[in-house]
Amino acid sequence: MAPVSLQAVRKVYGDIKVLHGIDVDIADGEFIVLVGPSGCGKSTLLRMIAGLETISAGDIRIGGRVVNELEPKDRDIAMVFQNYALYPHMTVATNMGFSLEHRGASKAEIAERVKWAADILDLSHLLERYPRQLSGGQRQRVAMGRAIVRNPQVFLFDEPLSNLDAKLRVVMRGEIKGLHQRLGVTTVYVTHDQIEAMTMADRIVVMNAGRVEQIGAPLELYDRPANLFVAGFIGSPAMNVLGGTIADSRFNAAGVSLPLPTGIGITGAARYGFRPEHLLLTPDGLPAVVSLVEPMGSETQVTMRLGEHAVVGVFRERVAARPGETIHILPDLNAVHLFDTKSGARIN
Amino acid sequence: MKTDLSPRLRVALYGLMCVLLIPFVFPTWWMVTSSVKPISDIFAFPPDLWPRRFDFSTYSRVFELQPFARQYWNSAYIAALVTAGTMVVSSMAGYAFARIRFPFSNTIFMVVLLGLLIPSEVTIVPLFQMFLRWGMINTHWPLILVPIFGAPSVFATFVMRQFFIALPGELEEAARVDGLGRFKIFWIIALPLAKPALGAVAIFTFLHSWNLYLEPIVFLSSTQMFTLPQALTQFTDAYGGAMWNVQLAAATMTAVPVLIVFIVAQKQFVEGLAHTGLKG
Amino acid sequence: MSDISQQKRPFWTIARKDAAAGYLFIAPQLIGIITFVLIPLGLVFYYSLHEWNVLANTFTFVGDANYQMLLRDPNLPPVLLASAIFSAGLVVVNMSLALLLAVLLDQKLKGIVVFRTLFFSPVVVSLVAWTIVWSFLLQANGGINGILQVFGIEGPNWLRTPTTAMISVVVVQVFKNVGLNMILFLAALQGVPKELYEAARVDGASRFKQFRRITLPMISPTILLTSIITIVGSLQVFAQIAILTKGGPGVSTTVLVYYLYQQAFQFNFFGYGSTLSILLFVIVAVLTFIQWQMRKRIVFYEN
Repeated sequence: MAPVSLQAVRKVYGDIKVLHGIDVDIADGEFIVLVGPSGCGKSTLLRMIAGLETISAGDIRIGGRVVNELEPKDRDIAMVFQNYALYPHMTVATNMGFSLEHRGASKAEIAERVKWAADILDLSHLLERYPRQLSGGQRQRVAMGRAIVRNPQVFLFDEPLSNLDAKLRVVMRGEIKGLHQRLGVTTVYVTHDQIEAMTMADRIVVMNAGRVEQIGAPLELYDRPANLFVAGFIGSPAMNVLGGTIADSRFNAAGVSLPLPTGIGITGAARYGFRPEHLLLTPDGLPAVVSLVEPMGSETQVTMRLGEHAVVGVFRERVAARPGETIHILPDLNAVHLFDTKSGARIN
Repeated sequence: MKTDLSPRLRVALYGLMCVLLIPFVFPTWWMVTSSVKPISDIFAFPPDLWPRRFDFSTYSRVFELQPFARQYWNSAYIAALVTAGTMVVSSMAGYAFARIRFPFSNTIFMVVLLGLLIPSEVTIVPLFQMFLRWGMINTHWPLILVPIFGAPSVFATFVMRQFFIALPGELEEAARVDGLGRFKIFWIIALPLAKPALGAVAIFTFLHSWNLYLEPIVFLSSTQMFTLPQALTQFTDAYGGAMWNVQLAAATMTAVPVLIVFIVAQKQFVEGLAHTGLKG
Repeated sequence: MSDISQQKRPFWTIARKDAAAGYLFIAPQLIGIITFVLIPLGLVFYYSLHEWNVLANTFTFVGDANYQMLLRDPNLPPVLLASAIFSAGLVVVNMSLALLLAVLLDQKLKGIVVFRTLFFSPVVVSLVAWTIVWSFLLQANGGINGILQVFGIEGPNWLRTPTTAMISVVVVQVFKNVGLNMILFLAALQGVPKELYEAARVDGASRFKQFRRITLPMISPTILLTSIITIVGSLQVFAQIAILTKGGPGVSTTVLVYYLYQQAFQFNFFGYGSTLSILLFVIVAVLTFIQWQMRKRIVFYEN
């Protein structure tokens, strides 16, 4: 186990800047998730930590030691790949013991470690199979087994669940989280799925276009997104954001005037955000014309027009309204987010 | 196109294929049967599809007229060496061109591909002079060195490169994380997975060496050194007339073992070939 | 911060080590190509500027004399014509037969593997053995004329008549090697997604239309590649000519490679032989270039 620290890390391919200086400090034993849209540089960053990509500038430290020019094998990390990268011509046991074998471990030691990992991951009955004889979930577990066998300082996961179906993904999510709680190894986990990020991370690093947008605990990002990008990326369905101006303690958007939380001292152009689940149905609310009702069972998702804006609401109540009818809604003023129009930064 | 065929169409297709088979199968049949006919029956009319009399002495005559066993060994060991050598050279080069980033790799690959464009006949004159200078005329060195390192192995390198390009990069990265360097990644991960491509390369290379004709007649001059294709054309009587039945016996001994290996392993043969990355 | 790491950066970085490994891996092939292809190619050009008398052991610079001779050589036009007829005939017959066989083998029929094996078998038969058998079959009193006579047909002396000699060498070569292209076409045919045919059938396209509008475009990369290989291969045919016809009758089957061999190794005209080598190289290079250019026009689909 070891802390990982990234300082002003840059990546350049010829003229193309992929990472513009990333600073992240990962504590010993922490579960960090790098999340962002595809092409944001999160996988590149992970691969730089692994040593699979060179570092154009900056420093990466693992356990206090600069590893910039160390081979992956000398960094004491283990990685789980998106497509598992199991060696097709080796059995599960050989796959799992492979790294130990090439570090000069004795046969007995390898067998013991493989057995230990297989027990944890419920793979004991599959040890003599070949990867092609395994299901997707089993392969995923073997890939994890291969990582834990060596007892490395850091685990790196590169979108490990993206090839699984939705149900299995939820199961494996739990298993990875459980494994982390059991072993307590520092973990860096890359995903584009913000739900995975929210459910698994101690802290999330939201990345966009080669930059870090915000670092924080899942609920912190959810409750207080630092800017419009994070606000839109975290949470599903996405936050409603309306453009308009602040004047006379009201927020005036096209065709609608919304109340402001108390204590807002600024005026002028701004953006007004509220999450679908923070809309309240109340008779003295603002009138909105329903355009689509999607019952989910436990809740109801309603798309409607508020003034000239399309907004989405998620309600615990069962909404009986039909398209074309009017309902009355009001955002929860404790959960309203205001952003600067130009910079997108949070202002309340 | 793969709809179920009507019975009538089925019969028509079988009929068509059987007719088409004749020029593919009949020569081999004719070679084997004629090789055991006495010389007097060999041009009999009407032609005998099955020998009316057998004369197996043709096979012993082969060994009396030529040092045929020695020539057989020459062809076999040259083909074996060339096959093994080509597999080493082309798998290494193909791997590097496909998977290792180094400066000028594309330019060098283009230069190597020139070997595909230059028929070996173009360079046979200077090669003859080079081997003459090195004192390697009438030795087997030209038949071993040129195919392994020169133009003939370029095709093999191309096939191997196409295969390695398709190999998932994650496997190598996993191996790097697991502590392997380049050589071990190549040897323990990439090469074992390349068995189908290597098989195709081996088949091609073996057949190419086994069939080589121009090079032996240019480089070799003594019958002891001859390879089989060259030896096959040497069976003539005192007046220069072809001794057909003996010649066909030698041809049968040259062709049939390879044919048997092919029929036993035809699945690997044909499928290995089909997956050489030649598909575009 | 970053300047600290700059100082610590060793010469043998990960990338440099890997590049060194790359050069090591390609070294045998590259050195081989330089030694056995590039240097000889340069030498061929050098020789072609010289008059080389092996018997008198003289080697004199003659400038473009050999190229002048090339232009005046009365044998060259018929040799080039023979090469062109041979290559064109071979490519056309080989490709169409290969495609026909591949389509047949692509059908759902029992025992199709047996047919595949038999059609492919000549590829693995020793080239010289195969050619000798055909030479035997094509003799005036040989097996083919014998069979024809059974049906009351008087066959020609195949290898001694210019037209039939050319047809013979083409046919012998086609049956020897068509199995290779057949297998490549078959693999390409089987790689065409079934949904395309299903969609075409829903759209009401006939079998023939499906073949023209779907199959051919989809396998066009394979057709192009095999045609390049076949043409370049056809220019290298030597053993078949040497054994079947020795270039005759006259020069009717003397293709360029065989002519080159005669000039260089039978008559010891190494200088002129080298000039012919240059000609052969130029022809192959031009043909390959044209075919790569055609790729953009005729290949509809590439993966």
